[in-house]
Amino acid sequence: MKLTTVWLDGLWDRNPGLIQLLGLCPLLAVSNTIDNAIGLGLATLFVLVMSNASISLIRHLVDEAIRLPSFVLVIAALTTSAELLMQAFDYPLYQSLGIFVPLIVTNCLILGRAESLARREPLLISTMDGLAQGLGFFFVLVSLGAIREWVSDIVILAALPPGAFITLGMLVAIHQVIQKILKRFRSNNKSDRKGRRVRTTGDIS
Amino acid sequence: MTLRLALFALIASSLVGVIYVITEPMIIESKEDARNKRLYSLAEPLLGKGKIGNPINKVLANDAPVSLINPLPVTPINNGKLQIGAVIPFRALDGYSGTIELLLALDVERRIVGVRAIDYEETPGLGDKIDVQKTDWILQFNGLRYVDLSPTAWAVTKDGGQFDSFTGATMTPRAVVEALAETLAYFETYPEIVGSGK
Repeated sequence: MKLTTVWLDGLWDRNPGLIQLLGLCPLLAVSNTIDNAIGLGLATLFVLVMSNASISLIRHLVDEAIRLPSFVLVIAALTTSAELLMQAFDYPLYQSLGIFVPLIVTNCLILGRAESLARREPLLISTMDGLAQGLGFFFVLVSLGAIREWVSDIVILAALPPGAFITLGMLVAIHQVIQKILKRFRSNNKSDRKGRRVRTTGDIS
Repeated sequence: MTLRLALFALIASSLVGVIYVITEPMIIESKEDARNKRLYSLAEPLLGKGKIGNPINKVLANDAPVSLINPLPVTPINNGKLQIGAVIPFRALDGYSGTIELLLALDVERRIVGVRAIDYEETPGLGDKIDVQKTDWILQFNGLRYVDLSPTAWAVTKDGGQFDSFTGATMTPRAVVEALAETLAYFETYPEIVGSGK
């Protein structure tokens, strides 16, 4: 597994918020303001990086039987630590995020990365993957927060729960369109390298 | 394998334990800070003349309104031996989404020094306009005494009172205004809770 793939996957190709659609509960609930989005994004990033790193470290010690309990244990301990640290260093932020900080434990993104990558890959790759996926999640969360906070002055709906779904849907659609254009661009480049082919069937437009 | 799991549990819980021990005093301090910051910003006009004292639990008589918890934790503002005002928590039970917790600062003449919504679940963009961080709505009570207005004027405009209700969210300001009026009326009967002298 290459590091560039890890970064591309996390930030764009397999973005947790836009493609894998993991961790939707906090993504939708806490994206009503930028401040909240940044706070929860950073807390999730912290837990994800630390959990990927520690799970990669213990990957040779766990077998099938104790895999899930060990992972959940690691994630829960890290989340509780993040919660305590946030209370100590930024209490107002902790208050405004409320229940969503302890709920990081149940963010499927974190267990998902542990299960699909960190339990097989070495420390560096796993840590980088945590960072890339966490940042991917962070950027989507913050964009959602920014758009919703900005639009809610004009349309109240944007600040309400349905607004979160609609805005996320639009972001996913934009991502798909860009992805499609990129794909066409890439395949065009490929065929150019192979040399020009003369088209013999179908419409030419 | 079970042994390994136990070992992981031990390591994980000691990590949490260590962080807990380190952060505990900081958390207590930041909670206290947050509380004091609120009290200070609320009672600021009184602080030129007095200092914030330690909260005292006052047992209220049976005719206390539902907006006040009993016993009531009153934070006095003291000038020497005289109490020149108080910061009092109260609540509006019938907000749009449950209870709204508020803080009220009164001077010795039971004039409103400040009111703030502290904890609420009201709809963002609608009911949360009671929050001073969103709009100035709650500042309009400053300087008022209960006796300055007729009892019927202590209501939102929709109910014939004199305080603005928000378009699309009447329940929130109605709950706040009614709870505030109830609370103020109670202290007109029991002024000694608020202060003892000038």
